[in-house]
Amino acid sequence: MRPVAVVAYGKTPFGAFPDRDLRSLAVEAGDKCLKKGHVNPSHVEAFYLGNFAGPSFVGQNHLAPYISTALGIRDVPATRFEAACASSGSAFFHAYSAVASGLYDCVLVAGVEKMTSQPTARVTEILAGAGDCSGEIKAGSTFPSLFAMIARRHMYQYGTTREDLAAVAVKNHANGALNPDAHMRKVITMDQALNARPVAEPLYLYDCSLISDGAAAVLLMPLDRARDATDKPVRILAVAQASDFVALDQKKDITTFPAVRRAAQKAYEAAGITPKDVQFAEVHDCFTIAEIVAIEDLGFIDKGCGGEFESAGMTARDGEKPINASGGLKSKGHPVGATGVAQICDIAAQIRCEAGDMQLKRHSLGLAQNLGGSGATCVVTILGQA
Amino acid sequence: MIGTIYTDTVVHLAPEAFAADVPYQVVIVTLEDGSRTTGRILGDRVAIDDRVEHVETRDGIPFFRKLP
Repeated sequence: MRPVAVVAYGKTPFGAFPDRDLRSLAVEAGDKCLKKGHVNPSHVEAFYLGNFAGPSFVGQNHLAPYISTALGIRDVPATRFEAACASSGSAFFHAYSAVASGLYDCVLVAGVEKMTSQPTARVTEILAGAGDCSGEIKAGSTFPSLFAMIARRHMYQYGTTREDLAAVAVKNHANGALNPDAHMRKVITMDQALNARPVAEPLYLYDCSLISDGAAAVLLMPLDRARDATDKPVRILAVAQASDFVALDQKKDITTFPAVRRAAQKAYEAAGITPKDVQFAEVHDCFTIAEIVAIEDLGFIDKGCGGEFESAGMTARDGEKPINASGGLKSKGHPVGATGVAQICDIAAQIRCEAGDMQLKRHSLGLAQNLGGSGATCVVTILGQA
Repeated sequence: MIGTIYTDTVVHLAPEAFAADVPYQVVIVTLEDGSRTTGRILGDRVAIDDRVEHVETRDGIPFFRKLP
């Protein structure tokens, strides 16, 4: 396998855009990315698309060529990847593997979701399709409720509190307020988070990420050709994908995501680093509890101590391990199929010193963790300076 | 069928199919053979470690009630 680089990235703002359709969002992100990398669409050798539920949200299928042709990418393989909220993380993993193996020298990876054209109850129903529809979903579980059951058990086993969960929301909203492309650029207080209306107890409104529209794209090339496109290539040190049961009730211990641990372990080994070496991370905070479990499973803190770590401010911008400096899914927004690639964009922007007000002091080694469903798919990516 | 509550949640925001039931309690129950199943609660609310008994099955979904 040869070294691979992210040579360019492009994103739309995340938010509710009633006048934008799915394709126009993906095309905006892809266009920005190709222009930034000074690459003509005719030189792209394959197009990888992450999208969770375009057919359900907007009624359009066959999305990869639908988007690639609009970008001017013709004739080459164009394929959609679906892995719930890890759809574009998975597309990125497969694109990386193809470039690393020598199959292609120039590929575009994009992620997109257009969610806000449906009412919330219907969005909840579509998202529930990422769970086990023959069991947990039929019983009336929603995605918030699956993560609520994880939170309840984490509280029981480790003494995690509602205040610990709220600390994640307060921190990510503070970060998102610095992100011009965030869906909800709003600082919130601990009181607001604790007194919001319940969604699925013990999760309340501010424990949940947002329903958003948006797209993100990255361009990959072998590292030895990356300088043709940019003077600031970002090296992909490792990407790993792992899987687990879809149904929560099949897992032995729901306070941990084995797929996160496996993907992280593989990625750390391939990159030759330990969790301590990671300077900052974008993790999948679809719900506040998910960030707490993620930082534990990624090895940033001992199992069961994630809540305390958050409450102590260790994951803040100026903390020991900044987590979700972009605002995370919580504040930046969560157009599910775009999230995995958007995290890669955010890490690359930090490494290239292009993060504006969000720029962190230590920014040369970052990790992205993208989760699908209640932990059935996980993609972990480690990026560093080339 | 007797079991023990492994975890629970009370759902307040539900898809249309369940909107009439809100708020309702969803649980994962550890059954006596050690296996787990997702189900719903009838009657009093339950918490982790509570013992429950199976009362009925609707559309393949088990409903449980708290044991005194």
